[in-house]
Amino acid sequence: MDLIIGGAFQGKLDYARNAFGLREEEIVTCTPDSEPDWNARCLCRVEDYVLDCVRRGVSPEEKFRPDAVLVGRDIFCGVVPIDPEERAWREETGRSDSRLSRGADSVTRLFCGIPQKLK
Amino acid sequence: MTVFISGGCKNGKSTLAERTAKALAGDGPLYYIATMIPHDEEDEERIRRHVAARAGMGFITLEQGRDILQCLSRAREGGAFLMDSVTALLSNEMFRPGGVMDWNAGERVADDLLRFARSCGNAVFVSDFIYSDAGRYDEYTEAYRRGLALCDKTLARACDTVVEVCSSNFILHKGELPV
Repeated sequence: MDLIIGGAFQGKLDYARNAFGLREEEIVTCTPDSEPDWNARCLCRVEDYVLDCVRRGVSPEEKFRPDAVLVGRDIFCGVVPIDPEERAWREETGRSDSRLSRGADSVTRLFCGIPQKLK
Repeated sequence: MTVFISGGCKNGKSTLAERTAKALAGDGPLYYIATMIPHDEEDEERIRRHVAARAGMGFITLEQGRDILQCLSRAREGGAFLMDSVTALLSNEMFRPGGVMDWNAGERVADDLLRFARSCGNAVFVSDFIYSDAGRYDEYTEAYRRGLALCDKTLARACDTVVEVCSSNFILHKGELPV
């Protein structure tokens, strides 16, 4: 599994498309109200899957395929939100991304469109 | 040479930017493109203080809150520009007087900045990294964040050097710093 993280609008998905030669039909966007398609080659907006888990009161699962490309926003860097759900979401995403990073073959962070290899 | 600097607030971006611009200017003129548009007497006073402080460092202030390409005529004389900040420029261009919103300001300003970066000779651009939080924003704020990210990515691609500043430490993402 390869993990790509970074802030909003930083070019994460563009990088994923180019670096892994992804076709559009291979990219599945997670939503905060449904289970993602775990067979997808690329799951993007992983943080929205985490939000779905927070709302259902369960821990995020890692049922993606071994060669999956996961793309997520590092929403855990800003101010602690007042809203309890946002607070739980922020913390759970931080924990989840750390777990994913440990198991990943590579971790790349995007900064203003420029990739930085973290692992 | 062109340098793009971003990062969190009060982290040392402007200090690095001033030093870099001074080094790039050499013996030529050193221009500070002031992007803040004053709205009251308090703003006027803040600007007067900043202008005086920068004059001591050798900066010539160009007041240009919008239409950044107007500054290009000065590029013929050599020297260097410091633009602080892309954030304020886009804000002025997107949120127009009279409560008018220009939804296409991101594309327009990114295009201006690309032309500026290609023709200016030496310049340092300062922006702000506002993309890594759990806030869920209204459509105006999201349009602004998307627009600023487009300006940032455009400049990062065009500039020779890209630096992220973190608590006065520098992460070099591209190229070299001249200081």
